[in-house]
Amino acid sequence: MARKHKKPLSEYSTGQLVMFRFRKNKLAMFGVFLLALVFLAVLLAPVLSSYEAVTKMHIRDKFSAPNATYIFGTDEFGRDLFARILYGGRISLLCSFAIIGIAFVIGALIGGAAGYFGGKVDTILMRIVDMLMAVPSALLAMAIITALGNGIWKLVVALAISQVARFARIVRSSVLTLRNVEYIEAAKCYGCSSLRIILKHILPNGIGPIIVSATLCLGQTILSISSMGYLGLGVASPTPEWGTIISENKINIQAYPYLGIIPGICICLTVMAVNFIGDGLRDAFDPRTKN
Amino acid sequence: MEKEKDYLLQISDLTVQYNTDDAVVHSVNNFNLNLVRGEARGLVGETGAGKTTTALSILRLLPAKVGEIVKGSINYNGEDLLTLPEAEMLPLRGKKISMIFQDPMTSLNPTHTVGAQIHEVLDLHFPEMSRAEKDKRVDEMMTLVGIPPERKDSYPHEFSGGMKQRIVIAMALVAEPELLLADEPTTALDVTIQAQILELMKQLKEKFNTSVLLITHDLGVVAQFCDSVSVVYAGQVVEFGPVEEVFKRKENHPYTAGLFNCIPDLNDQQPRLHPIPGRMANPRVLHEGCCFADRCEYACDRCRKEKPAMHVSGEHGIMCHRYEDKEVF
Amino acid sequence: MTAPLVETRNLKKYFKTSRGLLHAVEDVNLQILPGKTLGVVGESGCGKSTLGRTILRLQEATDGEILYNGENIRKYRGKDMRKIHLNMQMVFQDPYSSLDPRMSVHDLIAEPVAVCGLMRNKVEIKEHVHEIMEMCGLPANHSNLYPHELDGGLRQRVGLARAMAVSPKFIVCDEPVSALDVSIQAQILNLLMDLQEQRGLCYMFITHDLCVVKHISNEIMVMYMGQTIEYAPTAELFAHPAHPYTKALLAAVPTIDLSKRNQEHFTLKGEVTSPINPAPGCRFAPRCPYACDKCKEPCQLHEIAPGHLVSCKLFEK
Repeated sequence: MARKHKKPLSEYSTGQLVMFRFRKNKLAMFGVFLLALVFLAVLLAPVLSSYEAVTKMHIRDKFSAPNATYIFGTDEFGRDLFARILYGGRISLLCSFAIIGIAFVIGALIGGAAGYFGGKVDTILMRIVDMLMAVPSALLAMAIITALGNGIWKLVVALAISQVARFARIVRSSVLTLRNVEYIEAAKCYGCSSLRIILKHILPNGIGPIIVSATLCLGQTILSISSMGYLGLGVASPTPEWGTIISENKINIQAYPYLGIIPGICICLTVMAVNFIGDGLRDAFDPRTKN
Repeated sequence: MEKEKDYLLQISDLTVQYNTDDAVVHSVNNFNLNLVRGEARGLVGETGAGKTTTALSILRLLPAKVGEIVKGSINYNGEDLLTLPEAEMLPLRGKKISMIFQDPMTSLNPTHTVGAQIHEVLDLHFPEMSRAEKDKRVDEMMTLVGIPPERKDSYPHEFSGGMKQRIVIAMALVAEPELLLADEPTTALDVTIQAQILELMKQLKEKFNTSVLLITHDLGVVAQFCDSVSVVYAGQVVEFGPVEEVFKRKENHPYTAGLFNCIPDLNDQQPRLHPIPGRMANPRVLHEGCCFADRCEYACDRCRKEKPAMHVSGEHGIMCHRYEDKEVF
Repeated sequence: MTAPLVETRNLKKYFKTSRGLLHAVEDVNLQILPGKTLGVVGESGCGKSTLGRTILRLQEATDGEILYNGENIRKYRGKDMRKIHLNMQMVFQDPYSSLDPRMSVHDLIAEPVAVCGLMRNKVEIKEHVHEIMEMCGLPANHSNLYPHELDGGLRQRVGLARAMAVSPKFIVCDEPVSALDVSIQAQILNLLMDLQEQRGLCYMFITHDLCVVKHISNEIMVMYMGQTIEYAPTAELFAHPAHPYTKALLAAVPTIDLSKRNQEHFTLKGEVTSPINPAPGCRFAPRCPYACDKCKEPCQLHEIAPGHLVSCKLFEK
């Protein structure tokens, strides 16, 4: 036991123990640090830069490499990349987290119900999920946006729905493996309601693969937002967004690599941070991990 | 008594430890065992006593990196298996020494027919045998274990647990090994099926003159199947001897006596059982004195400080200070 | 005569399978008196676990009655059933998979109390948990450990403590000791017997191990492929086993008695199959050395001695 505890371990509550385990995980703490940094920068965007700078063109300074005036350089219209990335980050992060959140909640409900109740409920819900899965998710999202009309929030809804199937599948399979475990039967035996069983016994035990999948999904989602933007759906130029910044600069990336590298690094760092945190959470929730 | 014994397997001072991330687990400590050709020896002990580790050490199949043989020797037919190069171990496994595992459900490959799996053993060890000969051997072996040879094209899932264990036995014996390591071969089976399998193993052992090391936690199985027994506690043999001697229940190691007392037997009338107090010795801690001292009702200061020697009378050995002065027991 | 605490009448449980209807439990009638133990013995797949789970209504019975204190609880829903569950609990076979790995010993024992609404006050619950732990032989300093930190015997004590937490009168023990080492097994059996004595508990003890069941039971029911084939007081059953299957089962138990070592054993041929769409006759007939044409007709339980019931044509007059 490397960490010095003030009290004997047995006197801490479960929540505190989870925090202990999480804090011991160096990689996860690094992830928290990175993500906090990104969030801070994005939140402080008006202080570090200004909204006018996002769209203001300095034609004379176009394609200037990162320098003192333009920390991240400028693009082909001479717009300040630093401002665009800060403000773009707001949209990227907010949308992707919202998408994952919505998809997770709906998916968990569908998958949880299907797995737990089984039988006809399972058959009906899973056939709907199969239908969702049969259509490529990009195509599905496009169809939904076309039906709903354009707009950032409609994009969020569309992408969330296109991810629901995958979460429903994962949640269902972890519920299925746990449903017939004896401690679930024991819980039924002392009168636990179905909701309590799902929330208190099944979810905490099945959360590992779900968290990992959710964090992996995040990076993909940031890219999906941009590909939708590229197709003119959801976020459209000149509103910045990390993926869109890459795609609008793609013809100039060969000559001016920083235009792709800098937003790329932002996406990578965020996804990496979230992955580290996800792994850390998974281990921290498991009491079998050493304190 | 006087004539030189024909030992097939001699394990002396075998010490095995598992180096895990957080601790060193002393699984087997100074383990000694002599097995005569054709003998059926029972290895009795509770979970974590190091029985399976010993068997895996004989085959040199300990988990790589984690499992480490610290010292000792395993003499098989005059050769020390621990110093043999891996290339010479390969033909031994399955041909000279084979092993049956506890769970017949997981020791067969579900994607191959059972006939093909028995066949594979022959392919590996008898490359010179012709295909027709091999087929004939497979048929013979299946008949021997009581499964009609017509079923050789069936897959494992089409058989029940007892039948699967019969197939596992067929695979283990088809190469006519000299030594069979059976790790709890009947624990996963029902009693009536257990009786069938033990009966079968007995017949086949006679037929092929195989030596058997039967690992079990059930003294009843030992009494019915084995010629001699070694009782294992905390990775050490604390008592060994012919079944007739040990099961007389006159002179025993306190642990063996405790085991006898806590089995509910069909024939006795006592209403309460007499469990051995305490819990299994912690394998992460090495004992200074006798490994059983913490749970022993006779334990004295000497037991906690000084390791007892193995006191032998005839073929019966007991590792306990109480037998130090007894010449015969 | 005292009224039975738990009783079943013609209890049936069928499962639908792709090959037909599996008759897992067929017309089981049993009675357990308060403070007594009924041992249910049989090989895997004989429906003994299903029977236990059906009585606790973890699985819905297909037909028949389940009586607790004379009331048929099969129709009970929600709150009523929860009240019954305060009186009927279960101890499971595998002490590892029956404990939620994410909960500490304290939480595991406290949860039933909280769920049933027996106590609300946290301090009160804590005291209660400590009392139960002491009763089940769990050291008080173990209360914040997790199942993976305990060995099999302690885990099974936690499983028992969880069942005892709501002060039940009837406990279904589903092979509670078969996953444990012999020295630990004896400790748990003694604990079960002590608790029964102190609290007047009533057990249904499901096991495949005849030695264990002999020790703990007052009466024994032998099941084969879903049916009761023999039902008798323990001493009577072991002294005069009547059904050929019971005899074979007794003969198959390996004993430490060396005198039986080289005797020719009567080993049963064949194996248990599953009772899918079974024919009306005796289900043991295909393996029975005494089977004849009469065995194809339906068979009833007959009383051959006071309290000793057997279902076999050999005893039908």
